[in-house]
This record gives sequence, C-alpha cells and structure tokens, in this order.
Amino acid sequence: MYYLGIDIGSLSCDAVLIDDTKKIVASSVVPTGAKNIEAIKRATHEVIEISGILESDIKASVSTGYGRERVSNRIAAITEITCHAKGIKEVFGKIDVLIDIGGQDSKSIRIDSNGRVIDFAMNDKCAAGTGRFLEAMARALQVDIDELSDLDHGSVGNVTLSSMCTVFAESEVVSLIADGVEVKEIVKGLNSAIASRTSSLVKRVAPELKGLSVAMSGGVARNNGVVRALKEVIETNITVYEKPDIIGALGAALFAMEKSM
Amino acid sequence: MMYEYFKNLESSLEKKINETPKSPNARKKYSLEVARIGKRLYSGKDKIAWTGIGVPFDILNTMGITSCFVEFVGAMLASTGASGNFIKEAENTGYASDSCSYHRAILGALSQNLIPKPDFLVGTTLPCSGGLAVIENMARKFKKSLFVLNVPQEDSLQNIKYLSDQLKDLVNFIQKETGINFDENKLKEGIKKTNKARDLMIEAYNLAKKIPSPVDSRILKDFGIVTALMLGTDAGIEVAKAYRDEFQAKVNSGESGVKGEKIRLLWIQNRIQFRYQLEKWMEEEFSASIVIDELNDITWEKIDVDDPFTGIAKRIISIPFNGKAEKRIEHLKFLAKEYKIQGAINPCNWGCRQGTGERGLISDGLKEIGVPVVNLEIDCIDQRNFAEGQVKTRIAAFIEMISN
Repeated sequence: MYYLGIDIGSLSCDAVLIDDTKKIVASSVVPTGAKNIEAIKRATHEVIEISGILESDIKASVSTGYGRERVSNRIAAITEITCHAKGIKEVFGKIDVLIDIGGQDSKSIRIDSNGRVIDFAMNDKCAAGTGRFLEAMARALQVDIDELSDLDHGSVGNVTLSSMCTVFAESEVVSLIADGVEVKEIVKGLNSAIASRTSSLVKRVAPELKGLSVAMSGGVARNNGVVRALKEVIETNITVYEKPDIIGALGAALFAMEKSM
Repeated sequence: MMYEYFKNLESSLEKKINETPKSPNARKKYSLEVARIGKRLYSGKDKIAWTGIGVPFDILNTMGITSCFVEFVGAMLASTGASGNFIKEAENTGYASDSCSYHRAILGALSQNLIPKPDFLVGTTLPCSGGLAVIENMARKFKKSLFVLNVPQEDSLQNIKYLSDQLKDLVNFIQKETGINFDENKLKEGIKKTNKARDLMIEAYNLAKKIPSPVDSRILKDFGIVTALMLGTDAGIEVAKAYRDEFQAKVNSGESGVKGEKIRLLWIQNRIQFRYQLEKWMEEEFSASIVIDELNDITWEKIDVDDPFTGIAKRIISIPFNGKAEKRIEHLKFLAKEYKIQGAINPCNWGCRQGTGERGLISDGLKEIGVPVVNLEIDCIDQRNFAEGQVKTRIAAFIEMISN
C-alpha cells in the first residue's frame, strides 16, 4: 500500500507518495496559483502517474500547509511545523533545529531526538524574508527566481537592505538598480537581509547553537545564496536535503502511514 | 446612537434571562450589567468619569459616579465590528498605525464625537503611559479636569500611605468637580459589597481550577477586569454570585465546560475583542479550553471597612501589571500551577509594549516551570491587522506540540 502527503502552501503544492517501507516512490511540486483545489489535484495526479500506481492503492493521505483543510479524502490535517519536523527526521535522522522558509512564512523549529517539536517560532506579520519576498525581489531585478540562487557570486557585500518590509526592500532594490549598483551586490544584500531576519527566529528556539545540528527545508532552501548567508550569520553549518520543498509533504505522508496502522 | 444600542442590549438580555431563569445565565447577567453601565455612560443624566485601569471604582460607585476605563470603549467598538472606522479616523489625525489599537479606537471615536462628555477624568500611571495619554487627550478636548493617580510599583508601607493619601485627594477632587459630598458610611457599605464580590469571585475561580473545569473558553473572557467596574455595588455581587453558582452546579453534576476537555490553556493579557470564533474552533478541533486568563484573578486582601483607603491602595499596587515584568511572570507561574495548565497563549497585542516587550521574558519564565508559550503577534482590536491562517497554524502547531 501507499501513503500520500500533500503540503498545500501559498506558492507551491507539494505531494509525496511513500510505500510501506517509508521509501519515497514519487514526489511532485506544482505552483499553487489562484485555485488551490486544482493544484492539489495536479500534484496528486503527478505522483500517481510517476509511480504508476492506481489511486485506489493509496491507503491514506494527510494534508499540511496553509490550505490543509481544503484537501479532501484526508485522514488528518496536521500543521506544516509538525510535518516538517517529521520529514526532516526521516531524511537526516537527528536534527536539532530546522529552518523552514516557505512562500509566506518562515519558521524555526526545535526538535527532540524523536523528531517531535519542542518549540517553534514564526515570522512576525510581514512576509519579509520569505519566498514571496524573493519573488518580489526577482521581479524588481528582472531575473527568474531560480537564477537568484547564485547571482551573489563574487560580491564583496557592500550593500545593506531593509530586512523589515518587503515593499520597502523592493523600493530599495529599484533605487540601487537606478544607482548602477551591481546585481551581485544587490543579491548579496537581499540574502543577508533574509539571513538576518531568519537568524533571530533561530535564536528564539536555540539561543546557543554550539553542538546542535541545523537543517533547512522549504522552497527557499533551494536558494544557495540564502543558505550561504544564513550559515555566515548563525556561524553554523546547515544541511539541506536535495529536494527541500517536499519535506513537509513527506512528513504528512509518514503521518498518513502511522495514523492508518 | 450609543444610548439606544445599550438600551436595546439591556432589554434583549433582560428578556432572555427572564425567559429561561433556571438556565445557566452568568455570562448574560454579566453582559446585562455591562449594558447598564454603557447605558448610564450615554444617558446624559448620570455624573460620569472616564478613567484609566486600576482606578478605585468602588469609591466612584459609592459617590454616585458612573465610570469606565477607556480601553473598555476600544474593546466594545471592536466587539460591535465598528473599531476599524474609528482606528482609521485616529490614523487620519496622525496617530501611528503601529500604536495600541485600543487607544486608537477610542481616539477615533473621540474625534467623531461618540464619546460622552465626562464630569471629570481620572488617569493612572499603570499599566501604560499610552492609556494615560488618551485620557489627557480627552481632558483637553472636553476641557475637563484630570486627576492622575501616581501608582508606586513596590508594595511597602510608605508606598501604600503615599497612594492612600492620593485616594483621599481624589475624593476631594470629585467633591469639588461634581458638588457631590463624600459620605464615609456609603463608602463603608460599598467596601462590604466589594469584599462580598471578592469572596464570590475567589470561589468561582477556585471552581474553575477543577479538572475537568466547569468553564468553557468564553465565559470568563474579560470577566475580571470588567467586573472591577461593578465593585462596591449590588450588581457586582449578583454577577459574581451567578458565576459561582453556575460553576458550582456544573462541578456538582460533573459537567465540564468543554466536552472531553483534553488541553488546559492560559491566555495571557487581553483576548481578541472582535467577533472571531477562535475559542470555539479550539474547543471543537482539539478539545482545548482556556481555563484561565491572566487578568482573571484576585490579588488583594479583604479591605478593612474602617480603613478603606489603605486597603484600596494595597489592591491597586497588587495588580500584577504594576511594576517589573518579574512580578507579572511570578503571577503567571502561579496561575499556571494553580490551574494545572499545559500551555499558554500570548497574543502580544500589536502596538502594546507590555504585550510585545515582555514576550521573551514571559516565554522564558513559564518555560522554567515546563509550560510552553505560543506568541501570536496579533491585533486584538483591529481586525484589518489580523491574519487568520497564521494564527490558526500557530495555535494548531502549538497544540500538536503539547499533545505529543
């Protein structure tokens, strides 16, 4: 039998299908768009197609993410905080602190040796430092969001950007472009702003990081520049899974398996 | 308009209570008395005073003054869904959008002439300077006299004497502003009523501590802070008695406030004041109940009727919000232990420096006794500044964490 996890976020809808041995047999990441029900169907359809199974082979599904209540045929809806902790424990074993930066939320999660959440902190009201922030900045720089990842190469880090507000930061980027500042420096400034904001979340759940293992999940973890900047700020190595977007959906799939036994 | 609103509220609540006199009606009786206070404030007939939090309402009540702390107006406007327009009005006149929305709401209402003119105003230096500034604004607008109680932070004989002397000055001030003569015997009678209400409230709170608790997450919302307006009156006794009796009956019959109570929570500072079914959702989704609020507690001794000013001074100084965060945290720890709670929710009201500034200290303090805290970072008054998805995710994740 198979177990499905669906993570319906603000920017992407992720699906993971696992088998009885907890092995990932298929995963999918699709844009959420304006209709999240459509995205859920698309992501589910993709994992079924990739794995070659029948829909009836799926014994149970669990949903997570901000749209978790919108998923039909679920046996439970569990928050992304709990699901990311579960997912990261599965792929890396012991992780003490998980940083999850998604489309509109960033979170730091403190996890015990059993993969259970023992504390967490989420970003304050503004989406600064999240996927939305990067999306807005990519637009201002007129580059594809995936290109941002390594555009900071060779920068000297002489640009400081507002880490408090997405709108202000976007205005700042536009001004810097007008002033002829090199793109690599602007991107480095953006990465540092995100890292600065995220590091305070990390400190809230782990004031002292010495000796702790830190991982990162969520779509923003695919951005190497952000991960590098964050490592510099928290002065700790950060482990990133090859598909950081699917950690939440993996956790949900694992819960589907547990809860249906 | 406001007079009609309170009058209609009063009559509809009276009707409901009379129709089902034997049903649990403590909350309805409480709301009825609140409506009556509101009606008197807007009647144009009563002597009225706008005040800060911590003001001795028993002194004012026994002198025939209807009085209310200004934050109540902000909460009331939010509960009727009207706060947004008034907050916007305050912002139009230059108040920063990241200042306290309780205060912005009343300042907006003030500029729209929706606040009745008082006979005088009484401010206090607790719990925050923002509230005092609102009262100063009102005094200026209405050209009415303002008396400010400077509340010392430490509980000492010298400080109690200092504050009780100010309370005597307050009485002289009220006499001068209203022409009402102070009657010592009336105050003594009022203090007896205060003490009676205090005893009943303690009984009600002790019953709320039972496992399972007879309270649901809504019945004690704002109860402690608003019932202070009724101190020194028969109405205060009636409301407290209704709560005590309702809780006692539930405990006797083994009925819990929340069916299948699983999670017991402490709510820190103020509740969300606009209409939002957060508590109901928590109860239905997780069998989680807010069994105690930070502002629902009696922290003061019975007042000596022969020396009321000293007793009232002690009461004001005892308010946990008065003074260092450490005092507040010790009180929160006490509540957490007494009510056997598993987690605490701190709304960290937007713009409230006590709500947000003490956030970390409170989390660390409660963590010391094994009680986790979730910080919501929400606005309890301004619905425009409220992200439902984020709030639900935080609370759901918090409850998942506690449950594990």
